Amino acid sequence: MEILVCVKQVPDDSVEITLDKSTGMPALDKVAVITNAFDGYALEMATRFKEAHGGNITVVSVGPEKARDTLRNCCSVGANAAYLVNDAACENSDTYGTAYALSKAVAKIEAEKGVKFDIIFCGKETTDYTSSQVGPMLAEIMDIPQVTNIIALDPAEGGLSVKQETEEGYNMVDVATPCVVTVTKPSYDPRYPTMKSKMAARKVQIPDITAADMGADASLMGEAGAKCKVVKVFEPAKKEAGVKIKEETVEETVAKAVAMMSDAKVF
Amino acid sequence: MAYAIPEENYDLLETVREFAQKEIKEQCKEYDVSGEFPKEIYDAAIEMGLHTLEIPEEYGGMGLDKVTVAALIEQIGIADAGFGTTFAATGLAYKAVLAAGNEEQKQRCADILTETGFAAFCLTEPMAGSDAANSKTTAVKDGDEYILNGRKCFITNAGVAGFYVVTAMTDKTKGTKGMSAFIVEDGTPGLSVGNHENKMGIRCSTTADVVFEDCRIPASNLIGEEGQGYKIAMITLDMARPYMGCVAVGIAQRAIDEAIAYMKERVQFGKPIAANQGLQFKLADMQIKCETARQMVAHAVSLQETDKKYSMESSIAKAYAGDVAMECASEAIQIFGGYGFSREYPVEKLLRDAKIFQIFEGTNEIQKIVIANNLLR
Ligand SMILES: Cc1cc2nc3c(=O)[nH]c(=O)nc-3n(C[C@H](O)[C@H](O)[C@H](O)COP(=O)(O)OP(=O)(O)OC[C@H]3O[C@@H](n4cnc5c(N)ncnc54)[C@H](O)[C@@H]3O)c2cc1C
Repeated sequence: MEILVCVKQVPDDSVEITLDKSTGMPALDKVAVITNAFDGYALEMATRFKEAHGGNITVVSVGPEKARDTLRNCCSVGANAAYLVNDAACENSDTYGTAYALSKAVAKIEAEKGVKFDIIFCGKETTDYTSSQVGPMLAEIMDIPQVTNIIALDPAEGGLSVKQETEEGYNMVDVATPCVVTVTKPSYDPRYPTMKSKMAARKVQIPDITAADMGADASLMGEAGAKCKVVKVFEPAKKEAGVKIKEETVEETVAKAVAMMSDAKVF
Repeated sequence: MAYAIPEENYDLLETVREFAQKEIKEQCKEYDVSGEFPKEIYDAAIEMGLHTLEIPEEYGGMGLDKVTVAALIEQIGIADAGFGTTFAATGLAYKAVLAAGNEEQKQRCADILTETGFAAFCLTEPMAGSDAANSKTTAVKDGDEYILNGRKCFITNAGVAGFYVVTAMTDKTKGTKGMSAFIVEDGTPGLSVGNHENKMGIRCSTTADVVFEDCRIPASNLIGEEGQGYKIAMITLDMARPYMGCVAVGIAQRAIDEAIAYMKERVQFGKPIAANQGLQFKLADMQIKCETARQMVAHAVSLQETDKKYSMESSIAKAYAGDVAMECASEAIQIFGGYGFSREYPVEKLLRDAKIFQIFEGTNEIQKIVIANNLLR
């Protein structure tokens, strides 16, 4: 099967991010960039699928020049080819603009490689804006089926059998290909690259795709084309310091805690 | 990350650092207590190819420059020195083949190593420690085979190695010139492994006796020529010592990292203890030592890389890095106060791990003999 995995380079979400007072936007200058965690799961799932059933994996990112590093990393853990949609017209796109750019990139890459993608993987969300919209919008624009929040997939008659995580458990869903799947955390972690795969990935050519190359309407992307406008960004409210209750005995401590909760009308 | 390595190799350094920090550092604590060999973690490291760092490109390796290899091994050493030792000892055995083996042996051992992940170098015997020439192990030629008999002790990677490089006497009357070096593949009848040493430190590396009882090997497993074994062993140790040095630098670096974190966090007299200049000076001294040891390691391997003389520099790098690891580990404990002495905290292990670096691959006294011999020659 021909597989496409859409990946985004995001700020490292393991560090605390604060707002830049002068711009009111997140201060990201000193924050390292990483592959969006859910895209990492998606690529790992795609790679396991490829190892079990054969196929090729292409990765694509809509992003700035430095996103090339992320694509190269992907090539060391399973991807066979990579493309970077690298155009100023895509900067500051909202989720629709990104999904639109991806849909155009899919057509462009398919034409260039002379293939049709059977499965398009996306992470269920990015760890920076957590909208969960790009995958579903991409499927809608392309007018193909989609399954969100998947944790496993297998080939099935006419398409795929997919395990979709829900709040209560999971659904088994049969879906026809081509389709879009968005991936949440499966039971495994992404693999580490090997020293050799890392060195081999250095040699992979990662072509740029511009808006013109893929025949995209620049007015639908970027800040101009955004259907959503960010009005203001807030830092999460700081948690207030808790109270420590420590009476002479455990019984007294519990009694005091219950009394305080009762006063605060917790119950 | 202060080795000056080619820009393109920083991605390898980052990959190994991340693996070592996430998959080795915390996990190895448990094995430090139990003394078991962390097989699963080694499997993951082998999957990444960390055992093949020193195999030249023509034999299927990656063709990395030596300073990069040192930098990568240091990252493993930072996470766990026993883990670093295992790979450095594997490199030690393979270096003997690289130094004096023929093409077939270099390729065969590279293949075995790639496949099995480990190799062992067997020089030390009960009566031949620092005095390595006093070997009692014998190798007697019988047709197109050699028959080995004897006992080696304190052998790193005994029991897990895919091949053993073994020194044995082919002619006892000739002293050091009567010693030869051989490749013995794992599984050869007559090769067995004794009990694992219950060690003070580097407990994630495995150490045991290796015993040869009428162990027959093909004559083609002779490395170099008969009588060259002692020379080969000495050249091999010269080549290998800086790499043990970089594991020791890893311990020193870890001591610094732990000390910095604790100094910022521990409050006494109403302020973090990092605010005391007395401790800042301690930290700066640790850094001076660690960085100079690291650069001595880099210098020694650079000399090797560029085919210059490096015997003395290798000994300096290893002896100095071993001392620095001990000093930095001890100072880190001091900075941690009573908590440093507790096994609940990470620094007492560093001191236990550090000590061996003043002992194996030639004690620091022996390194000084090498250094002085080089000076007085
Ligand atoms: C954990 C561990 C792993 C090891 N791994 C390996 C391995 O993989 N392969 C291998 O072959 N060996 C290995 N060794 C053995 C190690 O190299 C020897 O222990 C070391 O060379 C010292 O030998 P010894 O223990 O017999 O000490 P001895 O030689 O008995 O030395 C005792 C003391 O006397 C000092 N001394 C000896 N001679 C002199 C002298 N001429 N002048 C001044 N002082 C002197 C020594 O420095 C030391 O302080 C390992 C040892 C350990 C503990």
